[in-house]
Amino acid sequence: MLQRLRKPWPDQRAERTLGALASVVLVLIVLMIVFVASKAMPAFQHNGLSFFGSGGDVDRQIDAMVNTGAKPAPGDYTIGAWPLIYATLLTTALAVVGGLAFALLAAVFIVEFAPPSLRRVVVPVVRLLAAVPSVIYGLIGILVLVPLVNDHLISSGRKQSVQYVISLTGTGLLVAVVILVVMITPIMIAIIVDALYAVPKGWREGALALGVNRWRAMWTVSVRAARPAIIAAVVLACARALGEAIMLSMVSGSKGFAPNPIDGLTFIFEPLRPLAATIVEDADSINAPAMSATVYAFALLLLFSSLVLSLAGFLAKQPMKKYGIRV
Amino acid sequence: MIGNEETHDVERLLPPPIKRIVVDEQLQPTIVQPPVADPVAATGPSAGAVRAGARAHRRGTPGPERMTLDGLSVSYGTKRAVNEVSLPIRQGEVLALIGPSGCGKTTLLRTLNRLTELTPTARREGRILLDGQDVDELEVTALRRRVSMVFQQPNPFPMSIFDNVAYALREQAMKRPGKAAVEPQVIDALRRAGLYDEVKDDLSRPALRLSGGQQQRLCIARALAVRPEVLLMDEPCSALDPRSTAVIEELIQELRSELAIVIVTHNLQQAYRVGDHVAFMYLGDLVEYGRTEQVFAAPRAQRTRDYVGGAFG
Repeated sequence: MLQRLRKPWPDQRAERTLGALASVVLVLIVLMIVFVASKAMPAFQHNGLSFFGSGGDVDRQIDAMVNTGAKPAPGDYTIGAWPLIYATLLTTALAVVGGLAFALLAAVFIVEFAPPSLRRVVVPVVRLLAAVPSVIYGLIGILVLVPLVNDHLISSGRKQSVQYVISLTGTGLLVAVVILVVMITPIMIAIIVDALYAVPKGWREGALALGVNRWRAMWTVSVRAARPAIIAAVVLACARALGEAIMLSMVSGSKGFAPNPIDGLTFIFEPLRPLAATIVEDADSINAPAMSATVYAFALLLLFSSLVLSLAGFLAKQPMKKYGIRV
Repeated sequence: MIGNEETHDVERLLPPPIKRIVVDEQLQPTIVQPPVADPVAATGPSAGAVRAGARAHRRGTPGPERMTLDGLSVSYGTKRAVNEVSLPIRQGEVLALIGPSGCGKTTLLRTLNRLTELTPTARREGRILLDGQDVDELEVTALRRRVSMVFQQPNPFPMSIFDNVAYALREQAMKRPGKAAVEPQVIDALRRAGLYDEVKDDLSRPALRLSGGQQQRLCIARALAVRPEVLLMDEPCSALDPRSTAVIEELIQELRSELAIVIVTHNLQQAYRVGDHVAFMYLGDLVEYGRTEQVFAAPRAQRTRDYVGGAFG
């Protein structure tokens, strides 16, 4: 047997072996979705669509679930998870929009305008930043940014104005989004820089030779041609922002509260807690069946949203194929 | 006018395809069809027409000088790619730059619209004048609109045919003009590049779906759309099949009346067919510059004789 494996592999065997490995991955994904869905079922069954709604204080509902017995009554499952879903969407969207704008400009600078000496330093540093564990960002956030925001940005008047609704302590939307941006931007920069380098040189030169300056040639030709990679970068960044748990648990304020834009500037200081952070914080009280089903339901939502993301990314790239952009 | 003696001399030296051109007393060339089907001549009437017209357009008097190179040198780091070249580029005629690979032809061409400035190590000395004005005094974007360029590899942008041609028109406007505003210029440019009849049914087609030769003509249309005074062509046919090459050569001859054309080519037959003047470069030096017939038939320098003779040989 070993003797056979040591000989050079025929293509057929390589194909079958690798095919089997690839199928294992597929099977695992399907099993995982089925497993999580089956575990989450009771939470959806007992709540129906109101699971996604906002009813009552979500933190209090979760606390109540922890104390339910081994045979929970249907009412024990009651939860309106909207504040958590909203917090996830809000932090992800704001961070990705902000991060994308920054990443695009940074990538354009690195590829087109940075002097080579600077480029040689910046590109490896960006890749390094993309690999920093998120807990370190969380630590810096809670030790540096949160006190800074609390002491210098939130006035006591602002705190008092909402003291009967929510207490502002520095943790909240602003710090969460700022750190998320710092976390996801390097990944996007790295991907977009690679994509801009991969744009055929002839396109850029062709534009320049027509009397278009480098800045415009970059946007109208290179960035246009790199759109599929930009979409891939956005999908990856969204996935990272959606799934970020520890850091957000540290700096988001960890309150099942839905920050309201009509609060004006107070909005950005209001605490919140996204789904992933909720799962991390409640994982230890998962012994109660009602709680367990609810946490699995959160997990299913995250799983589902990453599926939707991949699909959306795929669909968004399709129209670009038409003009011969490599997708 | 070219003396008959000289022309017949040239004919004797020419490689097989061009030998088929017979020049009669009025200098009206006709084609003697070869018994064996030639891929170029056999594919269509226009291919034959190119051959036939190859030397028919010659004019006795040179046109006005459009660009002047004065002691132009270009170095990459310590390596000198172009060494003290002085040349006139005249309106209404084609200047063919020939020479072995790495002799500085392409560098010289890219210097004319200051594209070499994109290479950080490149350094230029000497002057380039466009209509008597130093090109360094011009805004580089304005210069490149007046001195446009077609590259070796067809490089249409990944957009529709229309958008490709409209690209430079839209970019040079302060406010992005709509489709209707640029349409006449786009169609005109496509016509001048001889592509309009082939693509007029659907200008929204992706440019990259066109054949290689059509793509190259699209690139020429794109360059013509901004109405340049000088058109630089860097081996525009080296990536194309003989049929497309013939079409482009024909196009070059039609365009020569409106613009000054500088073409870099490896193909000596092509230089002979399209060039009014030929400049032979070797290791960065301009070895010989003169009328095409004179350079091919009676080169003054030994190096030119070796190169032209070797290729004909």
